[in-house]
Amino acid sequence: MNQQIRTIADLDRVIHEPGRLMIVALLFAVDGADFLYLQHETGMNKGTLSSHLSRLEEAGYVAVTKTYRGKVPQTLLRLTGAGRKAFEQYRRNLKEAL
Amino acid sequence: MDQVGNLLDRPRRYYNIDGLGELGGGVVCLDFALFLWLLMHFPADSLWHQISFFLFVGLALLIRYGTKAVKTRITYPRTGFVEYRRQWHTSAIAAALGALGAAGLAVGFRRHWDMPMLPSLTGLAFAAAYGYHFARAVRWKWVIVGAIAVASLVIAFLPADVLRALGSDSPVAHPEGAKLGGIILLSCLVYGSMLLISGGISFWLYIRHTQVPAQEGQ
Repeated sequence: MNQQIRTIADLDRVIHEPGRLMIVALLFAVDGADFLYLQHETGMNKGTLSSHLSRLEEAGYVAVTKTYRGKVPQTLLRLTGAGRKAFEQYRRNLKEAL
Repeated sequence: MDQVGNLLDRPRRYYNIDGLGELGGGVVCLDFALFLWLLMHFPADSLWHQISFFLFVGLALLIRYGTKAVKTRITYPRTGFVEYRRQWHTSAIAAALGALGAAGLAVGFRRHWDMPMLPSLTGLAFAAAYGYHFARAVRWKWVIVGAIAVASLVIAFLPADVLRALGSDSPVAHPEGAKLGGIILLSCLVYGSMLLISGGISFWLYIRHTQVPAQEGQ
Protein backbone atom coordinates (compact mmCIF):
# COMPACT_ATOMS: atom_id res chain seq x y z
CA MET A 1 0.00 0.00 0.00
CA ASN A 2 1.39 3.40 -0.81
CA GLN A 3 1.47 6.22 1.76
CA GLN A 4 -1.62 8.06 0.46
CA ILE A 5 -3.84 4.99 0.54
CA ARG A 6 -2.54 4.13 4.01
CA THR A 7 -3.52 7.64 5.19
CA ILE A 8 -7.05 7.14 3.88
CA ALA A 9 -7.24 3.79 5.65
CA ASP A 10 -6.10 5.48 8.87
CA LEU A 11 -9.01 7.95 8.88
CA ASP A 12 -11.00 7.71 12.10
CA ARG A 13 -14.19 5.92 11.05
CA VAL A 14 -16.17 7.19 14.03
CA ILE A 15 -15.63 10.78 12.84
CA HIS A 16 -15.58 10.05 9.11
CA GLU A 17 -19.32 9.34 8.91
CA PRO A 18 -20.87 12.60 7.52
CA GLY A 19 -23.46 13.04 10.29
CA ARG A 20 -20.91 12.58 13.05
CA LEU A 21 -18.38 14.76 11.23
CA MET A 22 -20.93 17.60 11.27
CA ILE A 23 -21.51 17.14 15.01
CA VAL A 24 -17.82 16.97 15.91
CA ALA A 25 -16.92 19.99 13.71
CA LEU A 26 -19.70 22.08 15.26
CA LEU A 27 -18.70 21.11 18.80
CA PHE A 28 -15.00 21.66 18.06
CA ALA A 29 -15.60 25.39 17.49
CA VAL A 30 -17.36 25.95 20.83
CA ASP A 31 -17.06 25.07 24.49
CA GLY A 32 -20.41 23.30 24.47
CA ALA A 33 -23.85 23.34 22.89
CA ASP A 34 -27.24 21.83 23.55
CA PHE A 35 -29.12 19.16 21.61
CA LEU A 36 -31.51 21.70 20.08
CA TYR A 37 -28.63 23.70 18.60
CA LEU A 38 -27.11 20.61 16.97
CA GLN A 39 -30.51 19.60 15.65
CA HIS A 40 -31.03 23.08 14.21
CA GLU A 41 -27.60 23.26 12.57
CA THR A 42 -27.40 19.71 11.23
CA GLY A 43 -31.05 19.35 10.20
CA MET A 44 -31.16 15.79 11.62
CA ASN A 45 -34.18 14.42 13.41
CA LYS A 46 -34.00 13.58 17.12
CA GLY A 47 -33.56 9.84 16.61
CA THR A 48 -30.69 10.12 14.13
CA LEU A 49 -28.92 12.78 16.18
CA SER A 50 -29.30 10.73 19.38
CA SER A 51 -27.86 7.64 17.72
CA HIS A 52 -24.83 9.55 16.39
CA LEU A 53 -24.28 11.15 19.80
CA SER A 54 -24.43 7.74 21.49
CA ARG A 55 -21.76 6.46 19.11
CA LEU A 56 -19.54 9.47 19.81
CA GLU A 57 -20.11 9.13 23.55
CA GLU A 58 -19.14 5.43 23.38
CA ALA A 59 -15.92 6.39 21.61
CA GLY A 60 -15.20 8.89 24.40
CA TYR A 61 -15.31 11.86 22.03
CA VAL A 62 -18.39 13.61 23.42
CA ALA A 63 -19.47 14.24 27.02
CA VAL A 64 -23.21 14.44 27.61
CA THR A 65 -24.69 16.31 30.59
CA LYS A 66 -28.40 16.22 31.35
CA THR A 67 -29.64 19.37 33.04
CA TYR A 68 -32.66 21.69 33.19
CA ARG A 69 -33.27 25.14 31.77
CA GLY A 70 -36.03 26.30 34.08
CA LYS A 71 -38.44 23.36 33.94
CA VAL A 72 -37.37 22.22 30.49
CA PRO A 73 -34.88 19.34 30.24
CA GLN A 74 -31.70 20.28 28.41
CA THR A 75 -28.94 18.05 27.06
CA LEU A 76 -25.56 19.77 27.00
CA LEU A 77 -22.83 18.34 24.80
CA ARG A 78 -19.10 18.96 24.84
CA LEU A 79 -16.19 17.56 22.92
CA THR A 80 -13.79 15.80 25.30
CA GLY A 81 -10.00 16.19 25.12
CA ALA A 82 -9.81 12.89 23.26
CA GLY A 83 -12.50 14.12 20.86
CA ARG A 84 -10.60 17.33 20.11
CA LYS A 85 -7.37 15.42 19.49
CA ALA A 86 -9.16 12.90 17.30
CA PHE A 87 -10.75 15.64 15.19
CA GLU A 88 -7.43 17.48 14.75
CA GLN A 89 -5.78 14.20 13.71
CA TYR A 90 -8.67 13.45 11.35
CA ARG A 91 -8.27 16.85 9.63
CA ARG A 92 -4.52 16.33 9.27
CA ASN A 93 -5.01 12.87 7.78
CA LEU A 94 -7.72 14.11 5.42
CA LYS A 95 -5.47 16.95 4.19
CA GLU A 96 -2.64 14.49 3.56
CA ALA A 97 -4.93 12.08 1.76
CA LEU A 98 -6.29 14.83 -0.51
CA MET B 1 -12.21 20.42 3.54
CA ASP B 2 -14.02 23.68 2.71
CA GLN B 3 -17.23 22.19 4.04
CA VAL B 4 -15.50 21.32 7.31
CA GLY B 5 -14.18 24.91 7.47
CA ASN B 6 -17.71 26.16 6.88
CA LEU B 7 -19.02 24.00 9.72
CA LEU B 8 -16.31 25.31 12.03
CA ASP B 9 -17.40 28.86 11.17
CA ARG B 10 -21.11 28.27 11.79
CA PRO B 11 -21.16 28.68 15.59
CA ARG B 12 -19.54 32.12 15.26
CA ARG B 13 -22.21 33.17 12.75
CA TYR B 14 -24.90 31.71 15.01
CA TYR B 15 -24.20 34.45 17.59
CA ASN B 16 -25.97 36.94 15.33
CA ILE B 17 -28.67 34.63 13.98
CA ASP B 18 -31.24 36.75 15.82
CA GLY B 19 -29.68 40.12 14.92
CA LEU B 20 -28.90 40.85 18.57
CA GLY B 21 -25.18 41.27 17.82
CA GLU B 22 -26.00 44.12 15.44
CA LEU B 23 -28.66 45.60 17.72
CA GLY B 24 -26.15 45.59 20.61
CA GLY B 25 -23.45 47.17 18.41
CA GLY B 26 -25.92 49.81 17.21
CA VAL B 27 -26.95 50.76 20.74
CA VAL B 28 -23.27 50.95 21.81
CA CYS B 29 -22.56 53.35 18.90
CA LEU B 30 -25.53 55.54 19.87
CA ASP B 31 -24.49 55.31 23.53
CA PHE B 32 -21.02 56.56 22.59
CA ALA B 33 -22.57 59.35 20.49
CA LEU B 34 -24.64 60.41 23.52
CA PHE B 35 -21.50 60.34 25.69
CA LEU B 36 -19.63 62.57 23.20
CA TRP B 37 -22.58 64.93 22.85
CA LEU B 38 -22.86 65.37 26.62
CA LEU B 39 -19.11 66.01 26.83
CA MET B 40 -19.14 68.53 24.01
CA HIS B 41 -22.32 70.44 24.74
CA PHE B 42 -22.35 70.74 28.52
CA PRO B 43 -19.87 72.77 30.57
CA ALA B 44 -17.32 70.78 32.56
CA ASP B 45 -18.92 71.69 35.90
CA SER B 46 -22.45 70.59 34.90
CA LEU B 47 -24.03 67.43 36.25
CA TRP B 48 -24.57 65.93 32.75
CA HIS B 49 -20.92 66.39 31.88
CA GLN B 50 -19.80 64.75 35.12
CA ILE B 51 -22.11 61.74 34.90
CA SER B 52 -21.62 61.22 31.14
CA PHE B 53 -18.98 58.50 31.58
CA PHE B 54 -21.04 56.61 34.18
CA LEU B 55 -24.07 56.91 31.92
CA PHE B 56 -22.03 55.45 29.04
CA VAL B 57 -20.74 52.52 31.13
CA GLY B 58 -24.18 51.94 32.68
CA LEU B 59 -25.86 51.75 29.28
CA ALA B 60 -23.10 49.48 27.96
CA LEU B 61 -23.65 47.08 30.89
CA LEU B 62 -27.40 47.25 30.35
CA ILE B 63 -26.85 46.24 26.71
CA ARG B 64 -24.59 43.34 27.74
CA TYR B 65 -27.01 41.88 30.28
CA GLY B 66 -30.08 42.82 28.20
CA THR B 67 -28.70 40.86 25.24
CA LYS B 68 -28.06 37.88 27.49
CA ALA B 69 -31.61 38.04 28.87
CA VAL B 70 -33.18 38.23 25.41
CA LYS B 71 -31.07 35.31 24.20
CA THR B 72 -32.09 33.22 27.23
CA ARG B 73 -35.78 33.94 26.73
CA ILE B 74 -36.06 33.99 22.94
CA THR B 75 -33.07 32.52 21.08
CA TYR B 76 -32.05 29.50 23.16
CA PRO B 77 -35.55 28.00 23.40
CA ARG B 78 -36.01 28.36 19.62
CA THR B 79 -32.73 27.38 18.02
CA GLY B 80 -30.55 26.19 20.87
CA PHE B 81 -27.85 27.24 23.30
CA VAL B 82 -24.15 27.62 22.54
CA GLU B 83 -21.39 28.21 25.07
CA TYR B 84 -18.55 30.00 23.27
CA ARG B 85 -14.88 29.44 23.97
CA ARG B 86 -13.20 32.30 25.76
CA GLN B 87 -10.65 33.69 23.33
CA TRP B 88 -8.47 36.17 25.18
CA HIS B 89 -6.37 36.87 22.09
CA THR B 90 -9.40 38.31 20.23
CA SER B 91 -9.98 40.83 23.04
CA ALA B 92 -6.24 41.61 23.16
CA ILE B 93 -6.14 42.27 19.39
CA ALA B 94 -9.26 44.48 19.61
CA ALA B 95 -7.74 46.46 22.52
CA ALA B 96 -4.43 46.85 20.65
CA LEU B 97 -6.22 48.06 17.49
CA GLY B 98 -8.30 50.49 19.58
CA ALA B 99 -5.17 51.88 21.25
CA LEU B 100 -3.44 52.15 17.87
CA GLY B 101 -6.46 54.00 16.42
CA ALA B 102 -6.57 56.42 19.37
CA ALA B 103 -2.83 57.05 19.09
CA GLY B 104 -3.16 57.67 15.34
CA LEU B 105 -6.02 60.09 15.99
CA ALA B 106 -3.98 61.98 18.58
CA VAL B 107 -0.95 62.23 16.28
CA GLY B 108 -3.14 63.25 13.33
CA PHE B 109 -4.81 65.94 15.41
CA ARG B 110 -1.50 67.35 16.64
CA ARG B 111 -0.06 67.46 13.13
CA HIS B 112 -3.26 68.93 11.60
CA TRP B 113 -3.81 66.09 9.19
CA ASP B 114 -6.59 66.34 6.67
CA MET B 115 -9.60 65.34 8.81
CA PRO B 116 -12.08 64.59 5.99
CA MET B 117 -9.97 61.52 5.27
CA LEU B 118 -10.81 60.16 8.72
CA PRO B 119 -14.53 59.31 8.29
CA SER B 120 -13.92 57.89 4.82
CA LEU B 121 -11.20 55.55 6.04
CA THR B 122 -12.92 54.48 9.27
CA GLY B 123 -16.23 54.19 7.44
CA LEU B 124 -14.75 51.98 4.74
CA ALA B 125 -12.99 49.87 7.38
CA PHE B 126 -16.27 49.61 9.29
CA ALA B 127 -18.15 48.64 6.11
CA ALA B 128 -15.51 45.97 5.34
CA ALA B 129 -15.70 44.58 8.90
CA TYR B 130 -19.51 44.53 8.74
CA GLY B 131 -19.38 42.79 5.37
CA TYR B 132 -16.96 40.17 6.68
CA HIS B 133 -18.84 39.45 9.91
CA PHE B 134 -22.50 39.83 8.93
CA ALA B 135 -23.11 40.24 5.20
CA ARG B 136 -21.14 37.17 4.09
CA ALA B 137 -23.84 34.89 5.46
CA VAL B 138 -26.91 37.01 4.63
CA ARG B 139 -27.03 38.49 1.15
CA TRP B 140 -29.43 41.43 1.74
CA LYS B 141 -26.98 42.87 4.27
CA TRP B 142 -24.68 43.93 1.44
CA VAL B 143 -27.14 46.82 1.02
CA ILE B 144 -26.16 47.95 4.53
CA VAL B 145 -22.45 47.62 3.61
CA GLY B 146 -23.05 49.92 0.62
CA ALA B 147 -25.08 52.36 2.73
CA ILE B 148 -22.31 52.57 5.37
CA ALA B 149 -19.67 53.20 2.69
CA VAL B 150 -21.78 55.90 1.00
CA ALA B 151 -22.64 57.54 4.35
CA SER B 152 -18.92 57.68 5.22
CA LEU B 153 -18.16 59.47 1.97
CA VAL B 154 -21.05 61.90 2.54
CA ILE B 155 -19.74 62.71 6.05
CA ALA B 156 -16.27 63.23 4.61
CA PHE B 157 -17.56 65.81 2.13
CA LEU B 158 -19.91 67.66 4.48
CA PRO B 159 -19.02 71.36 4.85
CA ALA B 160 -16.61 72.01 7.73
CA ASP B 161 -19.08 74.53 9.27
CA VAL B 162 -21.72 71.82 9.72
CA LEU B 163 -19.22 69.49 11.40
CA ARG B 164 -17.90 72.30 13.62
CA ALA B 165 -21.46 73.20 14.60
CA LEU B 166 -22.05 69.61 15.75
CA GLY B 167 -18.93 69.76 17.91
CA SER B 168 -19.46 73.35 19.04
CA ASP B 169 -19.04 74.34 22.71
CA SER B 170 -16.45 71.62 22.81
CA PRO B 171 -13.98 71.77 25.69
CA VAL B 172 -11.38 71.50 22.93
CA ALA B 173 -11.30 75.14 21.88
CA HIS B 174 -9.36 74.45 18.66
CA PRO B 175 -11.69 74.62 15.63
CA GLU B 176 -10.16 71.41 14.23
CA GLY B 177 -11.03 69.74 17.54
CA ALA B 178 -14.66 70.80 17.19
CA LYS B 179 -14.66 69.52 13.61
CA LEU B 180 -13.16 66.20 14.64
CA GLY B 181 -15.72 65.92 17.46
CA GLY B 182 -18.48 66.59 14.93
CA ILE B 183 -17.13 63.93 12.56
CA ILE B 184 -16.94 61.26 15.28
CA LEU B 185 -20.37 62.16 16.67
CA LEU B 186 -22.04 62.04 13.25
CA SER B 187 -20.25 58.80 12.29
CA CYS B 188 -21.39 57.09 15.52
CA LEU B 189 -24.97 58.28 14.92
CA VAL B 190 -24.99 57.02 11.33
CA TYR B 191 -23.30 53.65 12.00
CA GLY B 192 -25.41 53.08 15.13
CA SER B 193 -28.63 53.79 13.23
CA MET B 194 -27.65 51.45 10.40
CA LEU B 195 -26.77 48.64 12.79
CA LEU B 196 -30.09 49.15 14.58
CA ILE B 197 -31.99 48.97 11.29
CA SER B 198 -30.24 45.82 10.05
CA GLY B 199 -30.35 44.19 13.52
CA GLY B 200 -34.05 45.04 13.84
CA ILE B 201 -34.84 43.48 10.46
CA SER B 202 -32.78 40.36 11.34
CA PHE B 203 -34.56 40.03 14.69
CA TRP B 204 -37.98 40.38 13.05
CA LEU B 205 -37.10 37.78 10.40
CA TYR B 206 -35.74 35.43 13.07
CA ILE B 207 -38.92 35.65 15.16
CA ARG B 208 -41.02 35.17 12.03
CA HIS B 209 -39.18 32.09 10.77
CA THR B 210 -38.52 30.20 14.00
CA GLN B 211 -40.71 28.85 16.74
CA VAL B 212 -40.21 27.15 20.08
CA PRO B 213 -40.32 23.36 19.51
CA ALA B 214 -42.79 21.22 21.46
CA GLN B 215 -41.33 20.58 24.92
CA GLU B 216 -41.09 16.82 25.10
CA GLY B 217 -37.55 16.83 26.41
CA GLN B 218 -34.37 16.45 24.45
